[in-house]
Amino acid sequence: MLLSGFFGIPYEFRWNVLWEAPHYTWIIDGLWMTLRISAISWIFAVLLGIIFGALRTVPFRPLRALATAYVEFFRNVPLLVWLFFWYFGAPEVLPEPIRQWFIHHGMEFWSAVAGISVYHGARMSEVIRAGIQSIPKTQLEAGLSSGLSVSQTYRLIVIPIALRLIVPPVTNESLNLLKNSSLAMTIGVGELTFATRQIETYTAKAFEAFTAGTLIYLALCLSIAYIMNRVERKFAIPGLIARAERAEH
Amino acid sequence: MKRFGIFLMVAVLILGLAGISAAEPTLEKIKNTGVFTVGSRSGSPPFGYINKQNEWVGFSIDLARLVHKNIEKKLGQSVKFELKESTPATRIPLLSSMAVDLIAGTMTDTRARRESVDFSLTFFVTGAQFMVKKGSPIRGVKDIAGKRIGAQQGSTNEREVRARYPQATLVVFPDQPAAFTAMAQGKVDAYTNDGIQLWGLKMKASNPDDWEIVGEWYTYEPYGFAMRKNDSDFRQVVNVALMEAIEGGEYFKLYDKWFGLKGEVPYPLSPEAKRFLEMQVIPK
Amino acid sequence: MNFDFGIIISNAKFVLLQGLLGIGIFAGGTLRLAIPAILGGFCLGVILGLARLARRPWIHYPAAVYIEFIRGIPLVMVIFWFWFLVPVFLRRPVPEYWVALTAFVCFEGAYIGEIVRAGIQSVARGQVDAATATGLGYLQMMWSVILPQAIRNMIPSLVTQFIVLFKDTSLASIIGMMDLTKAAQTVTARELRPFEMYIFIAVVYWIFTYSMSRFSQWLEIRMSPEKAAS
Repeated sequence: MLLSGFFGIPYEFRWNVLWEAPHYTWIIDGLWMTLRISAISWIFAVLLGIIFGALRTVPFRPLRALATAYVEFFRNVPLLVWLFFWYFGAPEVLPEPIRQWFIHHGMEFWSAVAGISVYHGARMSEVIRAGIQSIPKTQLEAGLSSGLSVSQTYRLIVIPIALRLIVPPVTNESLNLLKNSSLAMTIGVGELTFATRQIETYTAKAFEAFTAGTLIYLALCLSIAYIMNRVERKFAIPGLIARAERAEH
Repeated sequence: MKRFGIFLMVAVLILGLAGISAAEPTLEKIKNTGVFTVGSRSGSPPFGYINKQNEWVGFSIDLARLVHKNIEKKLGQSVKFELKESTPATRIPLLSSMAVDLIAGTMTDTRARRESVDFSLTFFVTGAQFMVKKGSPIRGVKDIAGKRIGAQQGSTNEREVRARYPQATLVVFPDQPAAFTAMAQGKVDAYTNDGIQLWGLKMKASNPDDWEIVGEWYTYEPYGFAMRKNDSDFRQVVNVALMEAIEGGEYFKLYDKWFGLKGEVPYPLSPEAKRFLEMQVIPK
Repeated sequence: MNFDFGIIISNAKFVLLQGLLGIGIFAGGTLRLAIPAILGGFCLGVILGLARLARRPWIHYPAAVYIEFIRGIPLVMVIFWFWFLVPVFLRRPVPEYWVALTAFVCFEGAYIGEIVRAGIQSVARGQVDAATATGLGYLQMMWSVILPQAIRNMIPSLVTQFIVLFKDTSLASIIGMMDLTKAAQTVTARELRPFEMYIFIAVVYWIFTYSMSRFSQWLEIRMSPEKAAS
């Protein structure tokens, strides 16, 4: 090709390392681990996000302050530092029997889940708070004045709108969570990035190994984004100005 | 359409780099750039580590400086000496991507690795062992079944345990500090690495008596400097530097500095190892 | 367990001078990486954002593809790719700092590209029409009319992005660049007190990012008091 004359590197391409056993099993195991960490952390993160996001909007000051403290404390420190903290730092203050139980039941995995859930929980809560606060008050008022009860108004009007408003930023945050699961490799979790690194150290074929990992992440993120985009469009309410930024193609 | 575009871009990149021609010989590269870059460890005392004064020092680094002197002599010009961090997982890519010219750390010379890189003479001999907390029931490789064993990603020890002792639970970390901390905290029952590196860790720990190095060598680990393949001129320069150091006594002085009784990590040179090193020095 | 402040105090100088500021024998430093990265990322972002809005397909498709590609993979992967590719392209050894800087500029450029695009699109359509009616060409219009207004709109998002970048610099420690996180790791490997060291750098990171986010809130209020609802 045009470019090939330019590069003089002593590198032999051997794409078969990717489907030699046991390399491809490592990729599959790594992918499965990535999905597991991401899914479990996502559930916790969304729960934390809903709780603290809602708490930040209640009229009761101490609860608001508590929620704000949680958010500002956890999201202003890099996730990598949190992972080290949750794996090397935090378990040392656990009572010994519990600590031993964790050690024998995948402490690496659970430290990673803890770190990712709490960090992304803080980020989710911001997104959810913004969503709750951007629901036009008028909708609530209109519902009430039409004779609906408070719970009916919430159920039939406010919540459906809220859900549609927060889907794009929540999808964005969820994809960030998926991508951040790659950091778990630094505390010994065998997820996808770890697996590509592993192939590379056994075969010295870095290019092939990284390409495999990159394509898999791309496939995951692009398909999730595409699906959520379709979902969003299908359920969109005409005339409701929802999103901050959109990638339209 | 967009997704197709992404794959197209990746394909172009791949094909673009697929053109391989002969690489620039290392000596020429050093001559042209004026820099000799060495990859070494930063957490493996006493081969390459950061000491209490936060300086990057070590036995392998000192030997690499001898090579550096020989390069300057050979090229007849002064050359800058640069250190870059390398770990078991990164050292071969660093070499093949020309980021470093020589790996001077704790790299074991193996037949499989010689498919990708060339090695210098052996400059140190050791074997894999285990580091455990004092009083641990693990005393050797036969005790590790069902236990959690920590290792570094990319090391020969990791590969050995994975291949030959699958009954042990292997926990793999990206680097030595993480693995050692995990062992210190009991998250793994033992940490496996080459015996000498474990000794280095033990001596540098705040309480050396808390740790024990156990087990017969379950692998044979001859350390060599690694360099790019098919570069005999450079390899000659490196090997001659090592030979002259062994012949002239410089090597043993450095050995004593780092591994002598008053050294950083006492590890006496056995007579067989000494003889082996001396016999590598071929006649002028 | 006892919290050992002494460890923090004796190592603070190394961690802060070397890790945060990059002064010392190791080429590194969180701030030394973050500031050039945001500047470079901004320049690249403006180019990408404008390109993405261009009408001609051969300009906007590559930009779109690049942006979606970068946004679809973890930053760790991007760093690994550059770590592997940069020395190959330049055919010479490259210190980790420059690898990290290049990776971050290319990574941030994609994200800032989206901010730029949103910023430009948020400028009222009427401005474009007025500018065209006055006889300004496309580039003139961009430079004198649209971009100044767009940049005003973008500033809060840009500050937020800088905060994100500042935290992301911790990933440079994975390839060995001596930033704040790596400095803490180095000390931990020697002293074996991870709890103290990681709390210490958590506080340092926190101080910086929290101040920056307060600054961003203040900026937002100052720039558009009417939009700053509670």
